[in-house]
Amino acid sequence: MNRLLAAGLTISALLMPAVARAQSANALLEQGVRAYSVREYDGGAWLLRRALAVEGAGALGTVDAAKALMYLTATEAARSQRDSALAAARRLIVLDARYRPDPQKFPPDVIAVLQDARRAAPTVSIHAPGDTAIRPGADVFVVRLGAATSPEVNATITGADGRVVRTLYTGAFRDSIDLRWNGLDASGNPPPDGRYAIVVSPTAREQRRSGGGATWSLRLPLELTRPAVDTTPLPAAPPDSLLRPERGDTKGAIRALAPGIAAGAAIIVLPKVVASGERASSARLIVGGSVAIAGIAAFLSRHPGRELPGNTLYNRNLRDNWRRNVAEISRRNADRVRQAKMIIRPGAPSLVTGGETP
Amino acid sequence: MKHYLAAIACGAIALPATLQAQGTQFTVSGLASQEIVQSHIDATSTRFTGPMLGGEGVLISNRLLVRVRYAQGRINPQGGNGGGLLGPGTSDPRNVVEGEALVGYRATPWLTLWGGPSARAYTVGNSDERWLIWTGRAAARGTLLPGRMQTFVELYGALSGNVGDPPQRVGGRGATGGLEVRLAETGSFWGRLGYRMESTHASGLRETVESVTLSIIYGLPQ
Repeated sequence: MNRLLAAGLTISALLMPAVARAQSANALLEQGVRAYSVREYDGGAWLLRRALAVEGAGALGTVDAAKALMYLTATEAARSQRDSALAAARRLIVLDARYRPDPQKFPPDVIAVLQDARRAAPTVSIHAPGDTAIRPGADVFVVRLGAATSPEVNATITGADGRVVRTLYTGAFRDSIDLRWNGLDASGNPPPDGRYAIVVSPTAREQRRSGGGATWSLRLPLELTRPAVDTTPLPAAPPDSLLRPERGDTKGAIRALAPGIAAGAAIIVLPKVVASGERASSARLIVGGSVAIAGIAAFLSRHPGRELPGNTLYNRNLRDNWRRNVAEISRRNADRVRQAKMIIRPGAPSLVTGGETP
Repeated sequence: MKHYLAAIACGAIALPATLQAQGTQFTVSGLASQEIVQSHIDATSTRFTGPMLGGEGVLISNRLLVRVRYAQGRINPQGGNGGGLLGPGTSDPRNVVEGEALVGYRATPWLTLWGGPSARAYTVGNSDERWLIWTGRAAARGTLLPGRMQTFVELYGALSGNVGDPPQRVGGRGATGGLEVRLAETGSFWGRLGYRMESTHASGLRETVESVTLSIIYGLPQ
């Protein structure tokens, strides 16, 4: 019966990876545990690794992840893969430094692997919540550091290039401490989207105290994303076609002169056109002359090279209005961006000791 | 009568805001003119002059315009025998009423075509002489200083018309031209100086009207 079950699990593990990929992390964990219990170690290891690899909302919780790592340690030990078993045990210690396996469920050699890992690893663990959305500067993202001793550590947020974005904590702590990050970098601005990490490492004093051999760092990868914010596009600068010439030019001067002269002349000759032979008064000369003089005055006021204060003022008002609009829209856009939530996706923590990653 | 006047006053106060809310522009103006009328019948002619007072309103909705004008005054004979349908030798002062109601279409920003009736009536005692003429017009505008000063010229011709009773067919033509100046740099009031000359004729009868007009306009003249 057990062999039939094992064969079924092997088929599902080896021939139906697509089906397994679609399964939830918890289902994969349960299948991995069952595979271990029926000694189908190859399929069990594969299922457990798949369960641990699930990220995001479907990822295992801390307790289930610890359970998966414990069974993975046991499975690898059963496959005589001691290095892999040790690596899984180290991950378990990082996840939960105080994890205590059930001696009824696991053989002594598996528990011994865990003890070895515990001895080699620092007694610091890190625990992050699942995906978290915060408003930078207003909310906080909290991760918990745990320790069996009282280590003195530096905790920083670093960018993908290793640059320190923000120091979260420096000092000793006992039992546990919450690291709080408000989503801003050291200069008070939200960092751009991308991959970051919370890195916890012993201080120089802690390293000296431990005899200089405690070179380790605990790393919790973080992926920062911000959904696109609906911002208003900035208005374009006023085009030249809307601006008036600030100095007179020949074309503008003639354009001012022509209608004045034409209208003045038309008024003066009107009686000839409308009522030829009629004795017209001199009123037409006064009105026609006034219109022509106004045209000449307009021509002179727009004489080439002459400043046109009215146009300068008009252009200045136009530009000032545009600048005010840009400033106002920029301010509103900045408010919207500031109010937008940043999504923080923590990954699986890892431990680097002596320059190696488990 | 008082109620009627109060209603008109309320309408006049409420109208500008209502029109602006509907995207319609308007101008209103008051005008004063000195008019010279030369009245000819057969070989006799009389010259009358006198002041006229009136007003004008223009409604503008996109390319469509409506213009109404009214003026009245009294003109006095300056010489000759008098004449017209009022009878030869009538050289008494005349009461004059004139008005027009036109619909316009702005073909281009500077050219507007108008059409509609214009009327003119002379009264001496119990006798009167009424001219009613349907005209077609073309009005051109030119800008001297943007937003500050502009000129205009309007030519028109009679399409049909009549005068007297029994009515006689009337023909004629006329023109107006002048200058409009904004009174304050940012204000809504404009001043207009205009010159008008028109000549109308019927069988054996000819009237030539010449006037110089000063107007105060509220709103941007169109």
